[in-house]
Amino acid sequence: MKNISKKIYLALIILFLYLPIFVLIVASFNDSKILGNWDGFTLNWYRELFDNASIMNALKTTLILALLASIIATVLGTLACLTISKMKKSTRTIIMSITNIPMLNAEIVTALAFMLLFVGLGISLSFSTVLIAHVTFCIPYVVLNVMPKVSQMDNNMYEAALDLGATPFQAFYKVTIPEIMPGVLSGFLMSFTMSLDDFIITHFTRGSGIDTLSTKIYTSVRKGIQPEMYALSTILFVTVFVLLFLVNYGPSTKAKKSVTTFVFKSKMRVAMVTAVVLIFGVVGYFALKDDKNYIGDLYVYNWGEYIDPEVIELFEEETGYKVHYEEFETNEEMYAIIAKGARSYDVICPSDYMVEKMIQNELLAEIDYSNVPNLQYIGEQYMTSAEGFDPGNKYCVPYTWGTVGIMYNKTMVDDEVNSWSILFDEKYEGQILMQASVRDAYCVALSYLGYSINTLDEDELKEATDLLISQKPIVQAYVIDQVRDKMIKNAAALAVIYSGEAIYMQEENPNLEYVVPDEGSNVWIDGWVIPKDCQNKEAAEAWINFMCDPEIALMNFEYITYSTPNEASRELIEDEAIRNSQIAFPDDAVLSRCHVYNYLGKEGDELYDYYWTMVGGASSE
Amino acid sequence: MGNKLIDLQGISKSYGKHMVLDDLNLYIRENEFLTLLGPSGCGKTTTLRIIGGFESPDTGRVVFDGQDITNLPPNKRHLNTVFQKYALFTHMTIAENIAFGLKIKGKSKAYIDDKIKYALKLVNLDGFENRMADSLSGGQQQRIAIARAIVNEPKVLLLDEPLGALDLKLRQDMQYELIRLKNELGITFVFVTHDQEEALTMSDTIVVMNQGYIQQVGTPENIYNEPENAFVADFIGDSNIIPGTMIEDELVEFLGTKFKCVDKGFGNNKPVDVVIRPEDVELVTPDKGTIKGVVTHLIFKGVHYEMEVMANGYEWLVQSTKMSPVGTEVGIKVDPFNIQIMNKPESEDEEAVGVDE
Ligand SMILES: Nc1ncnc2c1ncn2[C@@H]1O[C@H](COP(=O)(O)OP(=O)(O)O)[C@@H](O)[C@H]1O
Ligand SMILES: [Mg+2]
Repeated sequence: MKNISKKIYLALIILFLYLPIFVLIVASFNDSKILGNWDGFTLNWYRELFDNASIMNALKTTLILALLASIIATVLGTLACLTISKMKKSTRTIIMSITNIPMLNAEIVTALAFMLLFVGLGISLSFSTVLIAHVTFCIPYVVLNVMPKVSQMDNNMYEAALDLGATPFQAFYKVTIPEIMPGVLSGFLMSFTMSLDDFIITHFTRGSGIDTLSTKIYTSVRKGIQPEMYALSTILFVTVFVLLFLVNYGPSTKAKKSVTTFVFKSKMRVAMVTAVVLIFGVVGYFALKDDKNYIGDLYVYNWGEYIDPEVIELFEEETGYKVHYEEFETNEEMYAIIAKGARSYDVICPSDYMVEKMIQNELLAEIDYSNVPNLQYIGEQYMTSAEGFDPGNKYCVPYTWGTVGIMYNKTMVDDEVNSWSILFDEKYEGQILMQASVRDAYCVALSYLGYSINTLDEDELKEATDLLISQKPIVQAYVIDQVRDKMIKNAAALAVIYSGEAIYMQEENPNLEYVVPDEGSNVWIDGWVIPKDCQNKEAAEAWINFMCDPEIALMNFEYITYSTPNEASRELIEDEAIRNSQIAFPDDAVLSRCHVYNYLGKEGDELYDYYWTMVGGASSE
Repeated sequence: MGNKLIDLQGISKSYGKHMVLDDLNLYIRENEFLTLLGPSGCGKTTTLRIIGGFESPDTGRVVFDGQDITNLPPNKRHLNTVFQKYALFTHMTIAENIAFGLKIKGKSKAYIDDKIKYALKLVNLDGFENRMADSLSGGQQQRIAIARAIVNEPKVLLLDEPLGALDLKLRQDMQYELIRLKNELGITFVFVTHDQEEALTMSDTIVVMNQGYIQQVGTPENIYNEPENAFVADFIGDSNIIPGTMIEDELVEFLGTKFKCVDKGFGNNKPVDVVIRPEDVELVTPDKGTIKGVVTHLIFKGVHYEMEVMANGYEWLVQSTKMSPVGTEVGIKVDPFNIQIMNKPESEDEEAVGVDE
């Protein structure tokens, strides 16, 4: 009886520990994109994973980083152990505790400390800063593994080697090193695993263009369901699992049977060598593959899912620049990074009001239009609109544009939708999705109340805030990217959404309809700008010019489905329904009741933030 | 035995404030089996390490074969050490262990293979080439450590308590094996032990040490029969050491009784220590003894009985082939030739100071 309950208990624990991983692994082989629907076994996600250049790039970074960090940490840690072992016992105990503390320290604290240190010292975040951080957090693991071996080693062993005629150097590498090798190997493997595994510290210390697998997975997953990420996570899990297995069962310390020890040790060696060769192989392959016509680097900072990945490859092939591509989720997040100078990029794609703010804060460089001949394809009216936030069109080349409106599901909404008022109708309690961004939320409330979406009038703002608060009980959630999945899966009836998303969503679910309410709304423009601390302006301008190429703009339009300001490109759209779509290219009547967001100044921002906090929209997910 | 091979001249060594060796002078002759004997902590290992080159003396010189090697690093010295805990390389096979020194010297593979075979045969471990060090018993590891050292054909082999970790039976076997080895190889052995029996069995010369000072140097017979001070006497075998007074030449008084002896030149009425080996004490009937006593303990020791006899307030240790049961009244008699007289040290410190200076 006792035995059975023990077994059940054990089974439950294992289930508890491994069920999530199991679900992940199953999902990585599931033909359906939707979790919970098993459409059969597939290796497609793995294939897509390996076809994805940016993921392969992250893999390369991850491996190089883990390898360098663990090698450096192993060397430093081992030398430290040899030194520590020569110290007096009391000193040794103190030093050992000091080296152990970082392992128990909250990772987020370590991560922040590193970022502060680097930014404080004026070191801009880069691959080296991640490497330094990784080496640092790996060293304690090396010490942990090597120290027991060093103390276990007979003190006289080194002397015995000298006695037999070895020089101190020979004694060190022929006796001391091999004797502690099992510990060194475990230390190396553990460091490698830790580095491979790390997200938080990497996230805080990485420079622009540096993405490891874990940061890649993190940024991708937030954007919605992408099964190739399950595949990647599965691979990562298996790798770490195998590595940890090697660490724990690899170099057997107490094996008594000489022959088996010997054979096992040599097997270990073979395994190690194979692993190293494999890693170098993969790294080497990608390194060589990249090197073909390389002429420089370009660091791009763009919204998530805001470019056709193939376009990046085409650009690299055509120009020879190596693109380091990174994504942000909100204008504010991007602004914090740029303004702090934590990372530097060559070209960024902010929204209108943010461009205005960056101009005012002197963060942008003027674009040399002689390097952007393709500007001729951008429609005149968009350049004029852009003057609303970029007077004289000095800093910004429009990339996409669109309106903010309501998307609704025809099968779930009976009323005619032509006013923001429907979002405040209790009939749709729990069926409404709002945008978790300040300006878009207030755009809804202010437009509905008949005020300017750029108002700085406190009474108007207060009224809008009260309205949003009173609306909250009937709102299902304030969301960012999950809008798409929820609406497509009929999980909500009404949502505030950008026109660009609407086309794609309609394709996936024909019951969805998009409307710009009669009260008016926001018309937004996202455009390319070059930050002042850009390292390669020529490359940045080449990039902007490339984005204005009609063929390229078309590829991007088809991928992101946001309206393009590229007139020549619009002409190339084959599908007449889309070329003349009211969603993608609304007529002047709609446009005339829409307004651009203006930058409200620091105080204005604070005012909006203050009220926004009261709404608590962002935290209600 | 030949001329001086190693000469330690005025060696001192301190660790911090702790003086371990103080002006030590000692020479070791070619082909000699010399043993450093003394209680734990008396500086034996330190002396050996100075010869081996692992420690450098604060003062003094180490002369080897006529050359000053005080500052020569260990790898340049023509001698090899067998360490207390063997210090075999655990990541290597036995063959690799033995080959280590030869490979460093760049010997040919054929030569090395020959040597490994030869050395393993010499220590009776043929066929152990491919075993790992930590799969061997203590005694076997010991012999491998010796094999590893001797393949280098050193002029001197330094052995630091090599038998200390072995059990009694094995220790005795190894003692004979070491003597055999030494005779076969014809090299000089400097051997360290704290076991007096081991020292007496194996050595040509014994150096008795205490607290960093040499107490006596001599052959085993010499040391055993004529200890030069109470420390040596006490350390070498169990002795009756009784305080007494030298009345005049050839007459000593202790335990309130006058005894005839053969020693002279101590002066008149001088305090001395009297040393009498337990096998030299004769038990006779009470009326025939010089003093009377009662047997208080009796143990059978195989070849002889060991008894304790209380007489005139001193507990005598007695060894005899004849048994006297506990409670027997006995007389004690000692042949004057077996009474050993020694100068009494005036203080504890002086007790340690070398007598051979
Ligand atoms: N490295 C050292 N540091 C400090 N004291 C030492 C060191 N080595 C030996 N000693 C001290 O020197 C004395 C003699 O040691 P040692 O030569 O090892 O004695 P033995 O081998 O006769 O037992 C001991 O008291 C020991 O504690
Ligand atoms: Mg010792």
